[in-house]
Amino acid sequence: MTILEKLKKISHKEPGIRHFCIQTIRFKKFLENARGLLDLFDDGSEKVLGEYIFDRHYVVSLIDSVVERLGMMVYDACVLVPKSGEGLYAAYDEHKFTAGNLINANGSGKSGSIALDTSGSLEPEYQLLSDVLQWFNGKDTPDEPTVMGFMKQIFLSVIQFDAIGGLEAMDVVKTRTRALLGNSGVAASDMGIYLVDLWKDAQALPKEKRSINDFNSIPLKHLLMDISGIDAKDRLNRMNKGINWVAAVSEYQLSLNSLKPDFQFRLETLASGYEQSDFIFIFADKSAILDKILPAGFHIESTDYGQFAWNLDMSAKNIEDSLMIIGRSLLS
Amino acid sequence: MSGQPLRIMVIDDENIVGKRLKPALEKTGDIVETFMEGETALARFEQEPFDIVVTDIRMEKIDGIEILEQILATSQRTKVIIITGYATVEIAREALSKGAFDFIAKPFKPADLRAIIERASKELRS
Repeated sequence: MTILEKLKKISHKEPGIRHFCIQTIRFKKFLENARGLLDLFDDGSEKVLGEYIFDRHYVVSLIDSVVERLGMMVYDACVLVPKSGEGLYAAYDEHKFTAGNLINANGSGKSGSIALDTSGSLEPEYQLLSDVLQWFNGKDTPDEPTVMGFMKQIFLSVIQFDAIGGLEAMDVVKTRTRALLGNSGVAASDMGIYLVDLWKDAQALPKEKRSINDFNSIPLKHLLMDISGIDAKDRLNRMNKGINWVAAVSEYQLSLNSLKPDFQFRLETLASGYEQSDFIFIFADKSAILDKILPAGFHIESTDYGQFAWNLDMSAKNIEDSLMIIGRSLLS
Repeated sequence: MSGQPLRIMVIDDENIVGKRLKPALEKTGDIVETFMEGETALARFEQEPFDIVVTDIRMEKIDGIEILEQILATSQRTKVIIITGYATVEIAREALSKGAFDFIAKPFKPADLRAIIERASKELRS
């Protein structure tokens, strides 16, 4: 029996599962847009160093792109957490206003906190770009909120809700699945993971039963790669612990969610083989020792609510190795 | 003309482009003149042809395509390099089909433009 065959699939007839899939897919879009914003910031930061030749049009395009991406992120957040909409859109309007002011300020140095160069002057395009980067990731204050600060606010809105509402949804998944498995006489998974086909189960409700072999997920295989050698005793222990994870998968995607009430952990990854888009994102409890779970190279940020960790632009080898290490840490 | 400095004309209505390109291209000993208006640049070209013309594609009065056509009508040996913005790759293709030597998209590093100029220079010398 292969490691994938040890996992148990969830019935795709359950409306709760479809809702779970839709939320997971939307969360992926949310992460994509957050990543797009970080890429824009990186691009601007590279250009402002002085090596590049750019014009005002570039900076204005950058501002427009930031506003557009930020709006998409807010929209995603509102789909995930409808009640957050009013507050987030109000804050978003303020950022649109700031963006308009930056463009209209004509690079004349709106923010007095930006240092001038030694000659005492910056070219208007560089000044404008500096102002934009300051708006993006300068000092976050109530009077001058930054894009990065707003992104964190959006993240927390989504994650906090997800930890409550999302877990409730997964509880539905868990309960119903247990009933289904019980009715069909299938024993609990010895890996403690339930599988959901992200696209098939979200988009359609096919009546026919699908085989476990239908689940072909590259990142899930990577995650489980290093734990196939677990001995029988450990497997028995794991069985006694019950079902601890839900893994929503597609060929290149994996969304792994902890079901343990005392251990919040969410892993999102795309392993398509295209380095510019592949990533691993993790949200975990403050108590989780991410240094021990994650390999080197991850950016880890702690908040009052929990820890965010991510690694972007990952090569296929890096994703494979990282998931293998994470899988061993989490599941062994 | 091996060993001779190249005469390079830079045309861009954004002041920062000429201001930054001029010292960067002059480092290798070439002669660089910058212009913010196509009309002035073409008038100068009539007086004295240049080996290489680097021109922005989007300008208010005369755009880069028109400059390209007029330059090549005056001097077929001149190599014209087009500077494009973000979403103007299609226009850049049009420029190539009309005889532009190459194009470069903003933002760019002077070293990237220098590499194109060196290729153009080799063709001029061959």
